[in-house]
Amino acid sequence: MSTFIQLHLLTSYPPANLNRDDLGRPKTARMGGVDRLRVSSQSLKRTWRTSELFEDALVGHVGTRTKRLGTEVYEALTGAGIAEKKSLEWARAIANVFGKIQKSGTEIEQLAHLSPEERQGVDELVATLIQEQRAPTEDELKLLRKNPHAADIGLFGRMLAAHPAFNVEAACQVAHAITVHPVAVEDDYFTAVDDLNFGEEDMGAGHIGETGFAAGLFYSYVCINRDQLIDNLSGDVELADKAIAALTEAAVKVSPKGKQNSFGSRAYASYVLVEKGRQQPRSLSVAFLKPVYGQDQAGTAIKALEGQRESFEKVYGPCAEGHYVLNAVAGEGSLDELKAFLVQN
Amino acid sequence: MNYLVFRLYGPLASWGEAAVGPTRPSASYPGRSAILGLLAAALGIRREEEATLAQLRDNVTLAVKQCSAGTLLRDYHTAQVPSHDKKAVWLTRRDELGVAKDKLNTILSAREYRSDGYWVVAIRLSDEAPWTLDEMAEALRHPRFMLYLGRKSCPLAAPLHPRVVSAGGVREALSEEFPGFTGSKMEDDEKRRLGIDAEVSFAWEGDAGDILPQETRYPYDEPLHRGRWQFASRSEHWHQTREES
Repeated sequence: MSTFIQLHLLTSYPPANLNRDDLGRPKTARMGGVDRLRVSSQSLKRTWRTSELFEDALVGHVGTRTKRLGTEVYEALTGAGIAEKKSLEWARAIANVFGKIQKSGTEIEQLAHLSPEERQGVDELVATLIQEQRAPTEDELKLLRKNPHAADIGLFGRMLAAHPAFNVEAACQVAHAITVHPVAVEDDYFTAVDDLNFGEEDMGAGHIGETGFAAGLFYSYVCINRDQLIDNLSGDVELADKAIAALTEAAVKVSPKGKQNSFGSRAYASYVLVEKGRQQPRSLSVAFLKPVYGQDQAGTAIKALEGQRESFEKVYGPCAEGHYVLNAVAGEGSLDELKAFLVQN
Repeated sequence: MNYLVFRLYGPLASWGEAAVGPTRPSASYPGRSAILGLLAAALGIRREEEATLAQLRDNVTLAVKQCSAGTLLRDYHTAQVPSHDKKAVWLTRRDELGVAKDKLNTILSAREYRSDGYWVVAIRLSDEAPWTLDEMAEALRHPRFMLYLGRKSCPLAAPLHPRVVSAGGVREALSEEFPGFTGSKMEDDEKRRLGIDAEVSFAWEGDAGDILPQETRYPYDEPLHRGRWQFASRSEHWHQTREES
């Protein structure tokens, strides 16, 4: 048994083209017999993982970026009385583990990322080298980068065909977001005028094009296996909870950036339902199998979602041990309370 | 004969077939490796536990009833990765994408999904199996790892509702009624939206007991080794018919 945390979000986007297919048109999916707008799982994950918000929420664990690691090691070694030539050689070997080292000196070519644990590993290795007056071995160098404490990889996994030993199984699952209502993608026919064309020969536009777009109220679903996440983070419960809160905040606040300059369609989730429990997780997408119509789209969708949660419980028994609702349409609940609910055990 | 029966439904599912290169096709119903993987995840068997996975493989016989194949969806998928650099290890995706623009490459693939497919699965265990059907049903109710319909981005959208039933054959076991999404019976409207009609197909292995094969196929989905990603072919019987409910 594991504890699962499920997030159900309703987010409304104005006309936009957030996630495009090979023709440049917004992605769609068929559900309940009608076409809906879709934002793919991979698009959402990339948006959240590369957002500053996600990184900031994990400060203190995401580590530092530096080029100067080798320099610091070199200084520590020479400071402890190791000969300069040896110090330089060893420092270069250690820094090289974290990034390509420059042709001479101790600096790494690009900023390298160091987690606090790795930093500690480097310090310990340097102490050992000073004590035993010897160069680092191949194995010692390899160990410096094992099992990184990065929340990002703990959540989303990692797959390296070349080094299966470094693979991490993702502890979180992100569904494709789909609209709760049918959508017909519209076309924006646009022209760009050539400012230096004074119409002496023709009055045509300098450029014409078409952009597909559509607006929609999306249902998105995220499921996190808390036990597996703790496992991926080598037992660090505190970091796991931090990561869950960071991902939740990103899911609520960060939207895909596709065609942002043309549509400016950033949006926060207007409704979030979180569930916690050991039961088999399930998305609530069937709430919208029958598409939502009418004037009060958000209200109807929220009612459908809550009704679906209750129906499932009625038919199949409890599907979670506890839940919390943030409803920005009605002004109920707060993100801080929601994050607090996620970490209570 | 006892069977463990459960139901699979999600707005998207992806039942991968043998795939080479950028096109990742999906079958219209789950193959053997998909269902074994689902059971293994529920039981908490890790991908590297080859011996336990082999036990699961060697003791499980399965049958699938396709109530709705859903519709085909082809997803154009792009992923950015930096050029191969043996020296570099990135700790976060943000780091990885932070390299110089000219070092970023895009990998393209076209992935097939089935949207709104609906399947019922029946499992039989051999006498030597280290698990009982009841234990498996319990694992499906309270899984150890996340369950999904072929891809991690395809969550289940309804409880599996696993039950152990006694039946004379595969077809009888698969005729178990499942409650609907909102009530104790599946409503006509729900059926219509999911494309569930009288047309059903059965796929099973070995002797069904109460249904005859119309055709036998040899899909390559018997998992041999997870680490080396090897599959063997197996024989699967197929029968398509109409069931007036």
